[in-house]
Amino acid sequence: MDRVLQVRIAIYVDRQRGQWVVRDGDGRFWALPAGDDAWQRRQPCDVRDEDGLEPVPGHYRSLLGIP
Amino acid sequence: MSAEHRRLEEARQQNIPWKKWGPYLSERQWGTVREDFSDNGDAWNYFTHDQARSRAYRWGEDGLAGISDDQQLLCFALALWNGQDPILKERLFGLANSEGNHGEDVKEYYFYLDSTPTHSYMKWLYKYPQRAYPYGDIVETNRRRNRTEPEYELLDTGVFADSRYFDVIVEYAKASPEDLLIQVTIANRGPEAAELHVLPTLWFRNVWSWESGAVKPQLRAEPASAGIQAMRATAPEHNDVLLYCEGQPTLLFTENETNTQRTFGVPNRSPYVKDSFNDWLLHGQKERVNPALEGTKAAAYYRVQVPAGGSQVLRLRLATKAQAKPFDASYASTLKARLAEADEFYGSVIPKALSPDEANIMRQALAGMLWTKQFYHYDVDKWLEERGCDPFNPQRKQAPRNDLWHHMYNGDIISMPDKWEYPWYAAWDLAFHVIALTLVDPDFGKEQLRLMLRERYLHPNGQIPAYEWNFGDVNPPVHAWSTIFTYRLEKMNRGAGDVPWLKSSFQKLLLNFTWWVNRKDRTGRNAFEGGFLGLDNIGVFDRSSPLPTGGYLEQADGTAWMCLFSQNMLEIAAELALHDPEYAEMALKFLEHYLWIASSMTHLGSDSGMWDEEDGFFYDVLRLPDGRAQRLKVRSMVGLLPFCAATSFDGIVLEKYPEMRLRIRRFLVKRPEMRQNIHDPALQGVAGRRLASILDEHKLRRVLARLLDEREFLSPYGIRSLSRAHAEQPYVFKAGGQEYRVGYVPAESDSGMFGGNSN
Repeated sequence: MDRVLQVRIAIYVDRQRGQWVVRDGDGRFWALPAGDDAWQRRQPCDVRDEDGLEPVPGHYRSLLGIP
Repeated sequence: MSAEHRRLEEARQQNIPWKKWGPYLSERQWGTVREDFSDNGDAWNYFTHDQARSRAYRWGEDGLAGISDDQQLLCFALALWNGQDPILKERLFGLANSEGNHGEDVKEYYFYLDSTPTHSYMKWLYKYPQRAYPYGDIVETNRRRNRTEPEYELLDTGVFADSRYFDVIVEYAKASPEDLLIQVTIANRGPEAAELHVLPTLWFRNVWSWESGAVKPQLRAEPASAGIQAMRATAPEHNDVLLYCEGQPTLLFTENETNTQRTFGVPNRSPYVKDSFNDWLLHGQKERVNPALEGTKAAAYYRVQVPAGGSQVLRLRLATKAQAKPFDASYASTLKARLAEADEFYGSVIPKALSPDEANIMRQALAGMLWTKQFYHYDVDKWLEERGCDPFNPQRKQAPRNDLWHHMYNGDIISMPDKWEYPWYAAWDLAFHVIALTLVDPDFGKEQLRLMLRERYLHPNGQIPAYEWNFGDVNPPVHAWSTIFTYRLEKMNRGAGDVPWLKSSFQKLLLNFTWWVNRKDRTGRNAFEGGFLGLDNIGVFDRSSPLPTGGYLEQADGTAWMCLFSQNMLEIAAELALHDPEYAEMALKFLEHYLWIASSMTHLGSDSGMWDEEDGFFYDVLRLPDGRAQRLKVRSMVGLLPFCAATSFDGIVLEKYPEMRLRIRRFLVKRPEMRQNIHDPALQGVAGRRLASILDEHKLRRVLARLLDEREFLSPYGIRSLSRAHAEQPYVFKAGGQEYRVGYVPAESDSGMFGGNSN
């Protein structure tokens, strides 16, 4: 993945639901469950308000298996 | 030659890695800019002490009496529990900047007792209370206190009453470059027997979680032998390392990975996380350590009973080669030999004229400097990218700091100002550290200066990085001073100076000099700005921010520092000219530059120059947008700094290049105004030496009169940074309907202008 596309990905934590949330390069949101291969098991999620999400540093991308 | 000198020579000439292992672990990685990924740049509150035990770091590690290899792949440190504390003591506790009534402050008692420059012998002492550490009391009481009250210290809490504490002494001795003996002595200073839980801990810095495809290293238990437990560290980057632990401690294994449940509220992938030992020991959660005896973080758990007034000793050994008998008689004799060699080394370094007490002070001071080396890791480009501030992405966010420093990659052993309060390098402090460090290890000193000028550090525009809170801040240009000083120290001690190093440094320093001239001399009249400039140079305004009046400041200290910079460049060029005629021209160039700057300080506009004849003092000059100018008559360190720009020259280079003498004479004859108000450099002094100095005798006497006046700068404790005269007569400046005031306050300032920890 090229670097410009990579930086358009944003990772968040949704503390209320206890899950990671990723906004991909196209602006879609995905919920990532806890555990290994989180990105592989992602589910689309509907996020209307990013205010409830807490940003997580980009270096967690590898930890969550995001390519 | 002493044994330690031999090791230094072996490291220098044969690349024998005597310095590969050292005290390179920080004492505080949390609350640093590197670990801060917040949008507002609030580093202290983004990654807190409370999180540190549970959250894996991105850029470094920390610990008690810690060591690591020079790339900080593998770390070793001590963890302690007195049976009372609410958490395992894995790192020093202190207040964040906003928590302390005088800024950040470590609230622990620990002492660097000894170290040789190759770290062949090191000794560290920590005073650990037997009562519960009063975390809450310290935070709350300091929060209630204001700036005029003293800090609330650990000793004030009463936790050490009746001497109920342990002295925990850690000694390291190298049997060979990669074979370290580790002896922990626990002395009970209290009136009753007491128990201490001791966990010597070995772990890998987490580099695998952040890079896709990175290979995860591994620690695992080795088969036990009689009276010895052991573990093996395996990583692709280096040879296996073994940790031998004498006795029958319980070996514990977990992962140096974030406890996501505690940190983010997301269930953990595995029960084995960074804070597992805390929960295993303090909360009895046996399932938190890996029964397979493998992981990336491991500890040998000792439960030690220490009688009143007595002590217990634990012995460990960290080595790359397997040891058949790691704790045989050679262990004690090697430890003893390394200590004796440290004595021998310091016997040759410390002047004989010092009393035994003074010699101890000097040795311990140098030990402190040596213990304060740290592996400093910060890839700014990566850091910007990981926070969505990639400098080459048009949709990037603005980073709260260091946006324009994406060329920087730091991953080196660097001398820190303090591994808890300032666990980041400060380039101009470092220039002074180098002088002390060069006394014991010239190679390390030179390497430090070289680092700051390397392409991975020096900005492409020629600016030296200041410090991580703002690499682009402007600090005094003292690098050239440190360079020539270090060169001469080595020349004196080794009989020859390192000319190639001096040449290389000079080339890079030229870039830095040019940056100053082009960026900080706004009008081209040799009057410099600079901003805060890092010292206790109290000003009416924050000099690093836009002025409330508009306009700009011509700074007496900034200009004096540049005068010194010119003198130092002249000294370096003159020294190099003795070896290479190409540099004679440069010596002449810097002599002229010195004269331009020095004369500008003293004659620039008779009524609005920095020198105030009526007061006999140098002041900053405020130049307003409408063309008016005004001296800001605060008598502070700012006006004393012109003293520093004084350098004597022996004239040897003029003997080698007589034409230079003629050209200098021609210049001085043609421009008599240059030396009209400064000390005349043509005057000869003792042994034909000449002096370059901003202050002539008249000005020197006048400024000295204030410096040595007890009603002004001279205090029972040294030189004040602000004249005491401002106690009765605060300096007041009015602009835009607002009043700006500088008043004298003894000791620490009551101003929060510089973060509450300056002045």
